Amino acid sequence: MTKPHHNSVFLEEAEIISHQAFDGDQFIMRLLAPHCAAKAKPGSFVHLTCDPQLPMRRPISIMRSSYNEGWIELLYKRVGRGTTLLAQRQRGEKISILGPIGTPFKATPGQSRPLLIGGGVGMPPMIFLAESMRQESDKQPFVILGSEVPFPFKPTPSKILIPGIPEGVIASMPLLDDWGIGNRLASQQEFSGCFQGYVTELAQLWFRNLDRETRSQVEIFACGPHPMLEAVAAMASEWQVPCQVSLEEFMACGIGGCAGCVVEVQTADGPAMKRVCVDGPVFEAASVFN
Amino acid sequence: MSSNSQPTLNTDFCGMTFNSPIVLLSGCVGFGEEYTRVNGFSNRDVGAVCLKGTTQDARLGNQPHRVYETPQGMLNAIGLQNPGVDHVVNQILPNLDFTETRFIANVSGSSVEEYYEVTRRFDDSPIDAIEINISCPNVKEGGVAFGNDPVMSARVVETCRKATDKPLITKLSPNQTDIASNAKGCIEAGSDAFSVINTLMGMAIDIESRMPIIGNNQGGLSGPAIKPVALLKVHQVYQVCKTHQIPIIGQGGITTAEDALEFIIAGASAVGIGTALFYDPLVCKSINTGITDYLKSHQLSSVDQLVGTLQMNQSQPSKCGC
Ligand SMILES: Cc1cc2nc3c(=O)[nH]c(=O)nc-3n(C[C@H](O)[C@H](O)[C@H](O)COP(=O)(O)OP(=O)(O)OC[C@H]3O[C@@H](n4cnc5c(N)ncnc54)[C@H](O)[C@@H]3O)c2cc1C
Ligand SMILES: Cc1cc2nc3c(=O)[nH]c(=O)nc-3n(C[C@H](O)[C@H](O)[C@H](O)COP(=O)(O)O)c2cc1C
Ligand code: FES
Repeated sequence: MTKPHHNSVFLEEAEIISHQAFDGDQFIMRLLAPHCAAKAKPGSFVHLTCDPQLPMRRPISIMRSSYNEGWIELLYKRVGRGTTLLAQRQRGEKISILGPIGTPFKATPGQSRPLLIGGGVGMPPMIFLAESMRQESDKQPFVILGSEVPFPFKPTPSKILIPGIPEGVIASMPLLDDWGIGNRLASQQEFSGCFQGYVTELAQLWFRNLDRETRSQVEIFACGPHPMLEAVAAMASEWQVPCQVSLEEFMACGIGGCAGCVVEVQTADGPAMKRVCVDGPVFEAASVFN
Repeated sequence: MSSNSQPTLNTDFCGMTFNSPIVLLSGCVGFGEEYTRVNGFSNRDVGAVCLKGTTQDARLGNQPHRVYETPQGMLNAIGLQNPGVDHVVNQILPNLDFTETRFIANVSGSSVEEYYEVTRRFDDSPIDAIEINISCPNVKEGGVAFGNDPVMSARVVETCRKATDKPLITKLSPNQTDIASNAKGCIEAGSDAFSVINTLMGMAIDIESRMPIIGNNQGGLSGPAIKPVALLKVHQVYQVCKTHQIPIIGQGGITTAEDALEFIIAGASAVGIGTALFYDPLVCKSINTGITDYLKSHQLSSVDQLVGTLQMNQSQPSKCGC
């Protein structure tokens, strides 16, 4: 009796091929994990062992993956005991990863104007999703990244013009710009070239500039802190466009076995407790925020 | 046993043949299929799989956070989230592959009547055995409230016994004063076997908000942190069980073959793996290999020959550890 979910997740001893520290306690780690890299999708995460002395794994989203070179890349922030130990791991060492896990983002055919919003360490799935849209000629995505600490890359002036965006708001993520994907940065801090304010305020300026026809082709994807997702969900319902969000909750198994990671969602049959690890992490915003 | 023959991991448990002494524990593997997501994982590597605690009606369970890491272990307060016994029997059991392993239901309730009703529904199903959970620390009624009261424990067992002829395994709580005398009462009430132990009650506090981290305020502690407690409880329950030929599934913090062997020597005929899967989903393979290697090097042909072979020190243990 083989079922679709069988053997979809791999346990790998992944070698750290690079590990870079950035301001604001942020780190980018590239791991050699060919099985996981081959199957990863935007929204997938890995459940990893930060250090053998900890009894539990930690969930971290996949930011990029290379099928050909067999690596995955993660962006994480040092916040507690697990990520502190993870930050100490050196190039050449191996860490145990379980992945790729989770129901990924699903772009709707015909919604040609995707809006991707990533806040803080919610940026990784948005970058993965943007990269996957590069190949799709019928999609014209716009990405907004927000951060209250310096961005984990060197912002550069964008070469791509985005109607509706104030003059002077030109800072962009070079990788996205190189891919030809329009993107802008937002922060409450006074970062040069960034929009000073919330990601949703910048998104509103973009929305208002679209004609009705174009607006109906928008679909929002978001990942970030809970209050940001709540504001994004409210904006989606204001403009009546579909919206998917990626959620976080404390996890134990990370594989659907313990029901430890649930969030309450509304279904046709009433409220239900859904597992973030396998039913999510991506959910319809309207089922979570209402 | 000749030096080159392979010892067997096959074990008889209440008349069921287990392919291995390993039992996957209730609440850690959903309804038996979740871990098959992991490449290399197989239910064939274990003797039995205990399904998630099941009640008469569907339950949504507790509010988050439901799980939290603690030193060498974790707290959980799931609150028996399950789709109700009818759904389990009609929708889930038909999709399980009973050629791979034995499947054991885990029954819970808020009243003795509910335990009876859920057991009766499972009796009329292909399930191989029924585990009665009178030790869940995470629900307001039933669960550990029954398990900590020897009279109530025996009443629940006696009632479930009337509902089924399938092997009945009583899951005992460590959160009680005299686990051995409770076990005795449960044997008299008709229990065929025991699971020892369920989780210990615990708490974790966020010092900034000054609130408990677990949504349910308290939770059940599992993992390596509870192993020494579990081992002593298995030893104590075994003293009662051995004269009645009642087998025990020893559990609580087992993560290696050496841990499993300690439980077997203390008196467990089978060993439960729960929290260890969260760290290493393929841990059962290495535990099977480790047990086989031990049996071989000690010239034992099966696990049965090791059960309860603990040799106590001659000195009389004092009740206090000081
Ligand atoms: C699906 C998913 C994807 C994620 N992706 C990323 C990412 O790409 N980059 C990143 O920096 N972080 C990400 N997180 C959050 C990350 O898992 C936590 O920051 C991390 O677990 C904290 O561990 P700690 O031991 O350092 O912190 P502590 O605060 O010491 O953690 C204590 C315990 O709480 C749990 N915990 C605390 N905060 C969170 C949280 N926000 N989410 C889940 N568990 C938590 C930990 O896992 C641990 O068990 C993601 C979380 C989920 C659920
Ligand atoms: C997340 C989680 C959920 C559990 N749910 C149940 C349950 O529904 N019924 C039950 O009898 N025991 C339940 N348990 C207890 C386990 O079956 C087991 O007895 C306990 O965790 C000790 O073993 P371990 O340390 O190997 O995990 C649960 C344990 C965990 C960690
Ligand atoms: S973490 Fe166990 S079900 Fe999601």
